[in-house]
Amino acid sequence: MIPVKYNYRNLIVRKTTTIAAAFGLALVVFVFAAAQMLGNGIKKTLGRSAAPENAIVMRKGSSSEMESGIEESQVNLVLAQAAQIGASKKPPGVGEVLVVVLLEKVGTVGGVSNVTVRGVPDDVFAFRSSAKIVEGRAAAPGTDEVVVGAGIRGRFKGLELGQSFEIKKNRPVKVVGVFSDDGSSFDSEVWCDLHTARTAFGREGYVSSIRVRLDAASKFDAFKALIEQDRQLGLNVQREADYYAKQSEMTADFLTIMGTMIAVLFSIGAMIGATITMNAQVANRQREIGTLRALGFSRASILTSFLLESIVLAFLGGGAGAIAALGLKFVKITMLNAGTWSEIVFSFEPTPAILLRAIFLAGFMGVVGGFLPAIRAARVSPIEAMRA
Amino acid sequence: MMSGLFLIAARNLGRNWLRTILTVLGASVALIAFVMLRTVLSSWEVGAEYAAKDRLGTRHKVSFIMQLPRRYVDDIRNVPGVKQATWANWFGGKDPGKPNEFFATLAVDAPSFLPVMDELVLDEESKARWLGDKKGAIVGDVLAKKLNLKVGDKYILQGSIYPGDWEFQIDGIYTAARKSLDRSQFLFHWSYMNDALPERRKDTIGWVMTRVEDPSQSADISAKVDKIFDERDTQTVTMSERNMQLSFMAMFGAILTVLDIVSVIILIIMLMILGNTIAMGVRERTREYAVLRAIGFLPWHIRFFVLGEAVVLGIIAGAVGVGIAYPFVNGLMGKAIEENMSAWFPYFRVEPQVAIAAGVIAIVLSTTAALIPAIQAGRISVTDALRRVG
Repeated sequence: MIPVKYNYRNLIVRKTTTIAAAFGLALVVFVFAAAQMLGNGIKKTLGRSAAPENAIVMRKGSSSEMESGIEESQVNLVLAQAAQIGASKKPPGVGEVLVVVLLEKVGTVGGVSNVTVRGVPDDVFAFRSSAKIVEGRAAAPGTDEVVVGAGIRGRFKGLELGQSFEIKKNRPVKVVGVFSDDGSSFDSEVWCDLHTARTAFGREGYVSSIRVRLDAASKFDAFKALIEQDRQLGLNVQREADYYAKQSEMTADFLTIMGTMIAVLFSIGAMIGATITMNAQVANRQREIGTLRALGFSRASILTSFLLESIVLAFLGGGAGAIAALGLKFVKITMLNAGTWSEIVFSFEPTPAILLRAIFLAGFMGVVGGFLPAIRAARVSPIEAMRA
Repeated sequence: MMSGLFLIAARNLGRNWLRTILTVLGASVALIAFVMLRTVLSSWEVGAEYAAKDRLGTRHKVSFIMQLPRRYVDDIRNVPGVKQATWANWFGGKDPGKPNEFFATLAVDAPSFLPVMDELVLDEESKARWLGDKKGAIVGDVLAKKLNLKVGDKYILQGSIYPGDWEFQIDGIYTAARKSLDRSQFLFHWSYMNDALPERRKDTIGWVMTRVEDPSQSADISAKVDKIFDERDTQTVTMSERNMQLSFMAMFGAILTVLDIVSVIILIIMLMILGNTIAMGVRERTREYAVLRAIGFLPWHIRFFVLGEAVVLGIIAGAVGVGIAYPFVNGLMGKAIEENMSAWFPYFRVEPQVAIAAGVIAIVLSTTAALIPAIQAGRISVTDALRRVG
């Protein structure tokens, strides 16, 4: 077995080629990991909005809260049913109105996008206990005051503490506080008074959805059965987690598929690049290889050695790419989510699985790219090589 | 003389066939990825690019989920310069049997809708049938194929914004005269829906589409339209169809920027592959160049050899890359995307400009990659190079 040090020293001596080849591999791994982190980021952001024991009730056939409409009178009915199953925390649920408004994006020329405005009852912070006011104060009930999520604050015109924006002509609402819900999609929303939202958006007597907090996640099936068996109600019950998974599905899938396709093409390019580089290495080192063979190293150990060198090279590049991708963790992106039709702030979120996959991809590229040149190296005839 | 030198340069590519083939392959793959990404970007912009110049859209000022009163259409029709106006509602219906199938369902005022949306092609017979059938609907040819619908079929949509099961009869299948029209829409009569709604929700519309006599006046007319409604309960925003598309696209700006950046990264990878190959070739031929210099060739000759070889390499890579990308994207990918994601990409094909650009980029990158090796090759000191071992 040829010492690994030989490969390692080789990579250092031929550093220009090493860096060029590793850089190519790093870019591939970077793009591959980044795309998956982005897809994961949007899934996680929406996923965090769900609590395991919570259920969301919407009109049958609605794919999002925005489309759904439930009569006010049904809210108490649903909550009474929930209490029967077991929902003892106070409050057991909230009926909310969800609308989107078009606001101007800060930092763009005329760029507008949809921002979610949620009309919430007074006890919303008791219901969503993970959400906390982090700056300013909570909105006074029954007024035109609103609080904005920490993610979206300052990203749109009017969405900064002390500023205001119009939800209707001559009906400005004022931002009096900033709340945070640990990076969930609520952080990309504006919460205003339920009645304000209803009158401003013509939703009098209606809510968009009812969120119910059951005592345990296991009570869900019974609750779902109870509500859905009443065909008069015409309502549909989902676990919050399932609901949010669906909302992120389209965008997350698009990002992941697109990213994977690009990464596959990239990796073919990079493997070819690695083959070219390793091939040239073999050609340049004919004499060296011949000497090694003359010293008694077997063909198999030459093959292993070159393959190893290629893999080390790949891991170097792959590692660098993965680290660079990890750096994206601190980048926050705001984008329209195709599922909710509104702007969501999210970040690149790595998982160990994504990083493992990225490193595995690098190793794979190293093996495939290095294989042909390694065979070629193993076939070098010692006598001819030394004579050359 | 020059062509002779060029030929020698080109023939140098044949000295290491394996490397040349690998390089061409690597560069072509990068080009394919490049063409693919640029096509995603250009297809995304199709809506704005092919938007009707003489058409305006009017919607609610605050939110796209809010409705306008039906009578606004008549007010808009009275604005000087407006030729025709029609309206539509987003219905948001689904096939109860296929809840995951997404397609646009719109309630439209057929008699005024067809003349305004004149890129929608419907034969006279179907048109007459649709206009006379209260429960009638027409579907785009792509959607008809996907849902396996034929003229005369009964079809049920489950509404969410407008709850309930709605029954329709398919009266026609339309095609598109312009690339920007989504061929998987489901269109039916607004009056059918409106008549069935509770009093509270009657006579409201999603948006108004207007045709103007003179497209150059559209900014002026837009302002006039919005001014009419400024003092009323519900304010509007009116803009040209193109601007509407652009503002919609801008909402996905982040993704587009990422794709843009990635397409540049691809070119960098390609540059590295090409540069590596060329630099290796030059390094191996150092001695040979020294001999050429010793027998009287000038530095520019040597540089010409290196660059000439790179240009030929670029041409081959460009031809192979574009040659594969074109049928791959247009035939395989484009078809699948147009069928399944027609709402987003009604037309997914490689633009000729993109193909040409890719070819030119291949040559330019290859030449750029050869610049430094070429300069170095020209600087070779004859004595040093000949003395060098290896």
